[in-house]
Amino acid sequence: MSIQKLMIRKGFAIVLSIIICLVVSVPAHAGLPLDTVKAYSDKVLEVLRDPSLKGESTKKVRKERLRTISEKMFDFTELSKRTLAQNWSKFNPGQQQEFVTLYTSLLEDAYSDKILSYTNEKIVFSKEVALTEKTVEVQSTVVRKTTEIPIYYRVILKDGAWRVYDVVVEGVSLTNNYRSQFREILANKQPESLLETLRKKVGGAGHSSGPASEPSQKKP
Amino acid sequence: MKTVKTQTVALLFLIGLTFLQPVALRAEETVPIPNASAQAQMQPANDAPATPGSLSEKSSPPTSVDTSVTTSVDHQKPVQEQEPKASGEAATGETLTPAAQEVVENSDVAVDEGSSIADPFAPTNKLMFEINDRLYFWVLKPVTKAYVHIPEDFRIIFSSVYDNLKAPARMLNNLMQLRMERAGNELVRFLINSVVGIGGIGDIARDSFGIKKQDADFGQTLGHYGIDHGFYIVLPLLGPSSLRDGIGRVGDYFMHPLTYVPHEDLSWQASLGILAHEYVNDASFRIGDYESFKESAIDPYIAMRDAFVQNRKKIVEESRH
Repeated sequence: MSIQKLMIRKGFAIVLSIIICLVVSVPAHAGLPLDTVKAYSDKVLEVLRDPSLKGESTKKVRKERLRTISEKMFDFTELSKRTLAQNWSKFNPGQQQEFVTLYTSLLEDAYSDKILSYTNEKIVFSKEVALTEKTVEVQSTVVRKTTEIPIYYRVILKDGAWRVYDVVVEGVSLTNNYRSQFREILANKQPESLLETLRKKVGGAGHSSGPASEPSQKKP
Repeated sequence: MKTVKTQTVALLFLIGLTFLQPVALRAEETVPIPNASAQAQMQPANDAPATPGSLSEKSSPPTSVDTSVTTSVDHQKPVQEQEPKASGEAATGETLTPAAQEVVENSDVAVDEGSSIADPFAPTNKLMFEINDRLYFWVLKPVTKAYVHIPEDFRIIFSSVYDNLKAPARMLNNLMQLRMERAGNELVRFLINSVVGIGGIGDIARDSFGIKKQDADFGQTLGHYGIDHGFYIVLPLLGPSSLRDGIGRVGDYFMHPLTYVPHEDLSWQASLGILAHEYVNDASFRIGDYESFKESAIDPYIAMRDAFVQNRKKIVEESRH
């Protein structure tokens, strides 16, 4: 009885694994999503820990390296589309393109300083969870001295490569967060107005490197 | 018991203040604009153009980045006849044509994955957001920058001690959520860290026994049993919260051991000092986080509110697994 059961189970397992192989075989050549994200993350850490790139003077070089990595790591068009959601169609192709460029710069400007300040953090990649047929969530944890921060990368398979289209930090999705902000602007203004806002933000942010961009200027 | 009373009164007063303020403000507004009260209840809708407005109006001259952005938005905003308002700055947020409001409402429903929250007190919340923002740059940041000179190892010890004091609250909340294993872990952690770790100066339970912290709070417990946020509220110093999570904070306060130390042993001044130190000590590990958040945001108020809702949603969802 128990052997029979075991055989059935074994048979079932074989059938299941064949099905899984068939289903998974398509993205298989693209590498596993987790490995892909981890490889990019390792590249970033390499830049951060490169002894020849220490000190303030090399900050520009490091930022440039980060940019090179992020351009491969992220699918900024997908990220932009998902951020604007149904508002994406309100933009004409030219505007869409400009939006992607500006939004990319905004994100790079805003986060590269932050990323560059990390050095001692350990990043643990734990697992990947399939979201849809072509999207997967890669789950990681950044271990800081007093806390652990869960960071999930959502990746999409396009042209044989997995690329990030959303980052979820402690449950906060980047695209959702920006969507809520852009929605307020687009609710009663034209796409051009949002682009103008972004142009100013990106242009202005470029001048101020460091934390002294805001009311902190009003030091006594 | 006396201690508990004075502390409670002080705490309730603080919370009461934040709750009463908006009510009083709204009462004033309902008089001049007949529509205002109805609008005020229609949640995020009424803060579409409001935040840029309130931001730019209050930031002083040399702010380079944000002012330019916000004012440009400001010019295009439909300017309504402003009735003389007693509530000054905060009230400016309330102006929005009904048509624009409809659009906002519609898109709200269409897109979101449930990360919205009622914000009937948006004007006061925005004011409080601004106050917290100023407090950060003018007080907390300079203080923390000086405090950071204390070696990190010491700061981590402080952090562990404060965290250990929150273990009972974590245990009780896990228990209330019927997450028994987690509750047990917290109990064991509290015992190990308090006794072997001498009052929690190190996380020995984690480092030597591999028992990790199992976060839980009373706001989460309320959410676990299906209680919704109610509405959004920005607390002084503590930042984003909601009716539910504000009540959660009060609940957690009563699960904190220091709440039950008699007045003779710990004066309220000392308690406040401890709270302040914990606040600064915590902040010393996060210097720069707020700046980069602000730099990344197009509309910091909305960005913060949305992040709060998304984060709390995740925390509540996790408690149901």
